[in-house]
Parts: sequence; structure tokens; C-alpha cells
Amino acid sequence: MSLPADWSLLAVELAACGWILLTLAADLLLSGARKRWLWALTLSGVAVLALLLGWQQQMGLAGSFQSMFVLDRFGVYFKWLFLLTVAVVVVMTREFGALLSERAGAFYLLLLTALLGMLVLASIYDLLMLFIGLELLTFSLYIMAAYLRTDARSVEAGMKYLIMGSVSSGFLVYGIALLYGFAGSTNFNVIHAALASEPAPLTAQAGMLLVLAGLGFKIAAVPFHLWVPDVYEGAPTPVVALLSVGSKMAGVVALLRLLLGVFQPLAWLWMDLLAVLAAATLLYGNLAAIPQTNIKRLLGYSSIGHAGYLLMGLSTGSLAGARAVAYYLLAYLFGNLTVFLVVTAATKALGGEALDDYRGLSKRSGLLAASMFIGLLSLAGVPPLGGFVGKLLVLLATVEAHRIWLAALGAVNVAVSLYYYLMVVKRMYLEAPRATSPIPVSALTRAALAGLVLGILAVGIVQEPFLARIAAALHP
Amino acid sequence: MVTPTHYLVVSALLFCIGLAGILTRRNVLMILLCIELMFNAANLAFIAYADAWGNLGGQMAVFFIIVVAAAEVTVGLAIAILLSRQLRTLNADEVSLLKW
Repeated sequence: MSLPADWSLLAVELAACGWILLTLAADLLLSGARKRWLWALTLSGVAVLALLLGWQQQMGLAGSFQSMFVLDRFGVYFKWLFLLTVAVVVVMTREFGALLSERAGAFYLLLLTALLGMLVLASIYDLLMLFIGLELLTFSLYIMAAYLRTDARSVEAGMKYLIMGSVSSGFLVYGIALLYGFAGSTNFNVIHAALASEPAPLTAQAGMLLVLAGLGFKIAAVPFHLWVPDVYEGAPTPVVALLSVGSKMAGVVALLRLLLGVFQPLAWLWMDLLAVLAAATLLYGNLAAIPQTNIKRLLGYSSIGHAGYLLMGLSTGSLAGARAVAYYLLAYLFGNLTVFLVVTAATKALGGEALDDYRGLSKRSGLLAASMFIGLLSLAGVPPLGGFVGKLLVLLATVEAHRIWLAALGAVNVAVSLYYYLMVVKRMYLEAPRATSPIPVSALTRAALAGLVLGILAVGIVQEPFLARIAAALHP
Repeated sequence: MVTPTHYLVVSALLFCIGLAGILTRRNVLMILLCIELMFNAANLAFIAYADAWGNLGGQMAVFFIIVVAAAEVTVGLAIAILLSRQLRTLNADEVSLLKW
């Protein structure tokens, strides 16, 4: 039964493990002032992983490792997105002064373990791997959320995230146990075959729902969204960016793999359920965002709204829906990272994270205000930006699946979200600033912002290469 | 005669007790304990099913889950210590700097 293992399939993950050890050693060996170069070590680690991933892609490596781990075009596509996200988060940590104390080393270490968790999640082929990958990612995030240990709000955010996250892990692991009981294995293939060959008993159905609940927490879907606003407000901004993009994307990747593969025979059960949850998530996220006064809290609610669109695409259960979700994530990544990079870079000079602190930002830094403007409009879904195409594809897939009511609700919510995003824009451009001193922006941040804005425009205007990549990634 | 079904009923009960405890208890340490109950309910179910199927997959899963649960409680207790230092309380109702 044991085939010779092809370790080159694991190259990226193994290199990530190696780089984690390297960062740990560097943190121990480097003294005092030299530690501030750890960010460069982390960023070069991400670059090395990208090279390896490119090599794997070039060689056309594919296949499964001991039927636990699978390398395919689907996984590779998302691994690129994960690497990009972490690279931008490293740039953010440069702007976020409080992290660059003597404990910066451990933070970069956790960032890399979170990255490892995400990379593993993109390649899962076994429910046990799903659990391990998810926990690796989430544990790193728990600690990072509580990283400002003398800031009570950060600690409170970490505690709340940990409790809610652990409860959802409890759901997930019990669901896995029930599915194992039904199929006799945690392997995706075996479970899929078992579900396809006989009508699933109640325990297997409950198991699937528990697993979906555990993942619903990761992507911040109603009714598992309670942690989102508090954690977004309290945790350090780079961590929130990783949470809102990386963690959500990891949850969606796992959901895509499960819903389109393993749980396909139970589509009659989850399709309508997800559609209802999508509607609830959309409405809750977008309506609750309107009265917010804190930018990070506002973005928290808006990220719940985006989870609604992602669920909408997933609930179609079709290949068109999956394609739309993959495109949506790409646009969401560029838009959300742009906005969070601006928040990170501007908070210190603005003196706070309240929406009113953003008054007159355009007069203090045209670059930050313009990037924020484009990022927010893309998140809202204004043409010709990336978010528009993502939303359009999701709505089209929903109409194709004969859920006109849900598509209509999605379209109405675009207008709602545009309202609260534009309230931020209005403060930035039309109101007078409190102070007039220009805000300095480092060259690294300028470059990252330029790249991200370019990404938003590219995803919105030249859709063809991205669509082709996604179609190839989803092709079985 | 104790059958796998008996174990499963016990495990389902454990899971529900854990969940009920999380919803009703207000002390952070008690909540962490109740989360452990939920994990152990899953462990029991895994063992019962592994016995019924006669394969080792479920037993192997239990080891992974124990390790993960231990890591989870380690992080949880560390954050609980920070919390009690910062806010001088471990009561979940009093931890409300952020709107809950």
C-alpha cells in the first residue's frame, strides 16, 4: 500500500518549516538593534517559498502525498494568494511601530507558522489535515491578536477570539468524528465514495453540518460572526489584515474543496442552507456597518458582508459559482490589503482609529487618501475596479442557479455598502483636517500601495488572464 | 453488554454538557475547561468508531486532537494570565472594553 513518497510535492511546506526554524535561530542569535532586520528575513523567506512554488508549477508537479496532502493547480493558485498576503502583512509590520520592540522576532515567527497553516490548508486531502492546518493557522492568530500584552484591548480581543475559535474547533472536530464513524476513514476520497453510494444517515448529515459550522467561523459567516467586530477593533492592525484576508481565504479554500468534492452528494442539504446563511450574512454585515464610528470595526462588519457574497457563490454548488468565488477572493485581497495598509500607515499620524480621525486625510497625504479611495470603491464593487467584476460573477452564478431573490438581495447590498464606504471617503476629501502636517510614507509602503492599487485595476480591467488561470485551477 | 452506541451516547452527552457550560459559565477558566470537554467528547467518539471499524485511523486522530487541545489550553491560559493582569478579573461579563 505504501508507494514511494514524492517529497518534492511538499517542497514549499518543508521550506516554510525550515524558514520558521531559521527565524527562531536568528531571533535568538541576533542582538538588540540587529533584530529590526528580521522583517527582511521573513520577507526573503516568502520570496524563497514563491520561487519554490514557481518551480513546482514550472515542473508541472502534481499528485497526492500518502493520500493526505494533494498538490494540484487549485492549491497552487491559492498558495500564490497566501504568499502575496503575508508579504504585504510584513510590509505593514514595518509601519506598525509597537510591534517592532524587542519581541518582534516571535511575531515574525508566528506570521510564518500562520503561513504554513494556510499553505497546508490549500492542499488538504484528509479531514485530519484540515483540522491540523486550521489549528496551526488559528493558534498563531490567537497569539498575534493578543500580542500587545500591555494593551488591555488587544488582550481582550485575543481572549474573545480564542474562546469563540476553540468552540468552533470543537464543532469541527466532533463533525470529523461523526464523518469518520460513517465512512471509516477521514480521507476525502473514501468519505465521498461512501456518501455517494448510500443515503447518508443522520449522524453523517450532522457531521457535515458541524464541519461547515467550524469553517463558517473562519470566514465570519452569520451566526458565527460574533467575534469579528471586537477582534478587528482590538487586535494590532497587521494581524487584522491577515485575519480578514488570509484567514477568510483559508476557510473558503477548505469550503471549496469540501463542497465541490466530498460533500457533493449531500448538495440537496447544504445548498439551500448556505443560501439562507448568505442572505443573513449579507444583511447583517452591511446594515451593522452603517452606524460604526471606528474604522477597524467598520471594516470588520464589511468583511462579514463580503463573507455573505462568498457564501452566495458557494451556495450555487456549481463550477461557475466556484469560479466567481475564486475571482472575488482575488479582488477582495487587493482591495482589503490596500485599505488596511493605509490604516496601518496613517493611524499614528492621525492619532486614532476613529472615522473622524480620517477627516481631511487627502490634504495631509494624497497618496494614502487616493489608495484608500480606490480600495474602498473596489470593495464596494464600483466599475471598473476588481471588486465589481467579482461581485458581477457571483451575482451571475446565483442567477444561473435560479436564485433570483438572493441575487437581487446581493445587488441591493452593493448600494448599502457603497453608502458606508463613501462616508469614509467624504471625511477624507471634503472635511477639514485637524492638523495640517503632511504624513510621511516610507518608500516600502509606497511601493506596496502602488502594487496593490495596480492589482485592483488589473483585476478589474484585464480580466481575461485571471479568468483563464482560475478556470485552469478549477478544472478537475 | 456495552456497545459502541453506548459510547456514542456518552460522547454526545459530553459534547452537549461542554457546550451548555460555555454558554452558562462566566469564568474564563471554566469556559476553557468546557472547551476541553467538547474536544474529549470527539476523542471518545473517535475511539468508539475506531473500535467499531476495527481500524487505527480513529485512534491516530485522537493523538493529534490531544496535542492540539493541549496547545489550545496553553495559549488560552497564557492569555488568561495577561487578562487578569490587565483587567484584574477573569469574569467574562466584566471583560467589555470592546462592545461585546
